[in-house]
Amino acid sequence: MPAKDAPSLVRVAVTFASISATSFGGGQKASIRQSVMAAGWMDADAFLDGLEVAQVMPGPNLLNLAIYCGQRVRGIPGAIAAFFGASVPPFAIVLIAGALYFKYASNPFVHGALRGCAAGALGLTVANAIELTWDERRSWIAIALVAATALAVWLLKLPLLLVLAVFGGAGIAAERLRAQRTARA
Amino acid sequence: MPSALHNLLDIVGVFAQLSVLGFGGGKGIIPQMHTDAVTTYHWVTSEQFTQFYTIGKLVPGPTTIFAALIGYAAVPQRPLLGAAVATAAMFLPSSAMMMGFDSLLARFAASPWRATISRGLAPAIVGLVWASVLSIGRGAPATPIAYVTTAAVVVLMLRTKISAPLLILLSGGVGVVALR
Repeated sequence: MPAKDAPSLVRVAVTFASISATSFGGGQKASIRQSVMAAGWMDADAFLDGLEVAQVMPGPNLLNLAIYCGQRVRGIPGAIAAFFGASVPPFAIVLIAGALYFKYASNPFVHGALRGCAAGALGLTVANAIELTWDERRSWIAIALVAATALAVWLLKLPLLLVLAVFGGAGIAAERLRAQRTARA
Repeated sequence: MPSALHNLLDIVGVFAQLSVLGFGGGKGIIPQMHTDAVTTYHWVTSEQFTQFYTIGKLVPGPTTIFAALIGYAAVPQRPLLGAAVATAAMFLPSSAMMMGFDSLLARFAASPWRATISRGLAPAIVGLVWASVLSIGRGAPATPIAYVTTAAVVVLMLRTKISAPLLILLSGGVGVVALR
């Protein structure tokens, strides 16, 4: 049962719809935090718990976080409202972009623009990979795992499930050992 | 041409698996998605895949929303249905897991395993992001001007505060002039 001052499901959906429709690149977490705190839906600790779990669980962080917040204030119906709120606007926008793509991609100017955009998006991916690798510099084991994973996928075309089981499993084991050693020391 | 229903079932199989394996916000699933959509099922070409990914980066919301465009292309008889099914398969399984997780949340959020799992998985995810560079690179234009554009975006992204979508649009401007 929702509390007396709990927001309506429409309010939950609209809150996340307005964030998802305007969240370019980063910054979504900050917008969600601001919205839910300003509305008094939860305190900072509850939000941070949700943020951490949203990042560990599979799925887009923005969507997971929206679901967590929706569920906090209105249970499963709130989570569903948040899911639709956070996913429908991006879906509608990408469909419009796709319709334009299929209509105009053969126009030489549009084709050139798309090729340029693709070169740019590749650059963003490389920059992201560099930043994420830099974040792993704390341990040589982590860096070795990054390299081994990339090579295994490049050269052996290992399926994702196997990659996560082998290299993710090795990473978790290494992290567990490190945590135990730190605890003992 | 395979029937629309057959395609839709394949779409559900592919994207639902990617959904539940989408750790780290889904950054690591691009290589597998490329293999499935381009090599295995021939739903899209490598160039289309890269351009759809680019559109995913350009529009608001999660990048993996570009699954909708792959679904659109995969079911020529019913493109909108293909897009809707691909998006649902991409987002519903992980979202259902997130909802089901709520009851365990209090315990898990405080557990040392949470940090162990997220830090332990991180190197594999980062390796997969490097592998996505190759997947995406295959469909990017292979000309000196494109290489310079890519390199410039890397430097600008790492060294300045210019937003990612703006960098893509600026690259598009370069493309209009020099990559036609």
